[in-house]
Amino acid sequence: MFEYMNFHIAPWGWELSVYFFLIGTAGMAYALATAPVMFGGRFEALRPLQLPGLVLAFVIVLICGPLLIHDLGQPMRFLYPILYFHWTSPLSWGSLFLLMFAACVVLFWWFDRAGNTAPLKPLAIIGSLLGLSMPLYTGNDLMVQTTREVWATPWIPVLFVVLSVTSGAAALAVIGMIRKTDDADASKILHAVMLSGVATTLFLFLGLLLSFLYGSEEMQLGWHILNDQFAMQVWLLTLVVGILAPLALLVRPDIGRRPQILAVAGIASLIGAYAFREVILVAGQLPQLYY
Amino acid sequence: MPIGLQAEPSAGVAGKKRWAMVIDLRRCIGCMACVAACKAEYDVPLGVWRTIVKVKDTGQYPNTKRHFLPRLCNHCDNPPCVRNCPTEATYKHEEGYVLQRYERCIACRTCMAACPYNARHVLPNSRTRVKIGGVVDKCTFCEHRVSNNLVPACVQTCLGRSRIFGDLNDPNSEVHKLVGGMPTVTLKSEKGTKPQVYYIKPAQQIVNQIYSPPESYAAKSDAEAFYRHNKGRQFFGGVL
Repeated sequence: MFEYMNFHIAPWGWELSVYFFLIGTAGMAYALATAPVMFGGRFEALRPLQLPGLVLAFVIVLICGPLLIHDLGQPMRFLYPILYFHWTSPLSWGSLFLLMFAACVVLFWWFDRAGNTAPLKPLAIIGSLLGLSMPLYTGNDLMVQTTREVWATPWIPVLFVVLSVTSGAAALAVIGMIRKTDDADASKILHAVMLSGVATTLFLFLGLLLSFLYGSEEMQLGWHILNDQFAMQVWLLTLVVGILAPLALLVRPDIGRRPQILAVAGIASLIGAYAFREVILVAGQLPQLYY
Repeated sequence: MPIGLQAEPSAGVAGKKRWAMVIDLRRCIGCMACVAACKAEYDVPLGVWRTIVKVKDTGQYPNTKRHFLPRLCNHCDNPPCVRNCPTEATYKHEEGYVLQRYERCIACRTCMAACPYNARHVLPNSRTRVKIGGVVDKCTFCEHRVSNNLVPACVQTCLGRSRIFGDLNDPNSEVHKLVGGMPTVTLKSEKGTKPQVYYIKPAQQIVNQIYSPPESYAAKSDAEAFYRHNKGRQFFGGVL
């Protein structure tokens, strides 16, 4: 039998899944870090995590900028998505939001350090919205690729936001344990955020499973490739480590609110949040490599 | 007009041109002259293509048949690559071409992810003769030739006159007559991209196998070598 075909690269590799994961974590870390300013009341318990949260968000932005620029074929043109802004491209919006988010992180820290409290609340609100728009736009970036069936569903941005909510809270829980800021109220808030995030992720994972199994030829091929080449990421890292393990640790509040347990569940859900994104990214691309 | 384009689709608009291609698969002999002509016209580097002819044998000896499927950018009337480009580097020409501004492209590869036909590629940075590299490239329907009253290089060289090019809006053009008078199909029309490369009588087998991994030993080996070369991964996300 004779056969001749050309082979294609998948356009987006590990750089994108790392970026999706990191920037989502930064967005929610900022939202939680600024929650005491934004809401006050019971969220004052998160005050000890404010500076670590801001530093985490800032460090991640410092990593993500060069990572994204390095990923471009023309790194010196990294400002073009803003200079030649194209309103129908989520990537243009994302570039703009990323810059504004970074500015909010720096300004919030600056005004807080200077003791100028007046701009803090607006910066907390705007920055948190921008922070959560990071996973939203990365999800939209996939969702608008309507010719890739795995991505072209409205729940992808929702999934990315939920994963970010979990991973931001998880990162702060780990930092809290390392810094020994044992505050029962803070643990209670982080526990509630993580538990609801992981539980929602489980439902979204099941939804993905069903859409693969009942989907079109392309979806089923995607499912076959995932099970063939990325089974560890799907079943072990995403489902077992990333969803079921933290769910088991967090489901009983009396156990789940202990800082050590919260941190272990946090690390597991961080692994899952990354693996789930990687799975989604490859599942959308691999079915078309031979087309 | 579909959102995000820079020009209205011109198909069926009086007084405007709408360039299109018809590929008559009854005439294609799989000689690859079109691929060679395209490579020569644009100095297309090794490992990437603006146009390709997929070949597949079907059936069992002695009842076998060889199928060909020439492929290129479909210059869609509703191109997702244009809509998704963050810098408007790729744009819709008013005569139907989907073109690329190299000086604006950042090679974020969003257009490649958006294209359902895998019709785009990244030009390597290491080119010696033509210095354009590190940007996304694609078939242009040889716009530079067509604007000088020539046909695209692949059409010019096609031995069996399988590839036919012309103005779909011109009632006297061959493509208009073929699209109007023959049963033609377009690829992945269900994706809503309104592709403007029409095929006459494609074999269902070769259209169906588009998602399939290679079956023959040689093609499998080629695929494995390709992906191994590209940083040893199953796929590769960067610029070669």
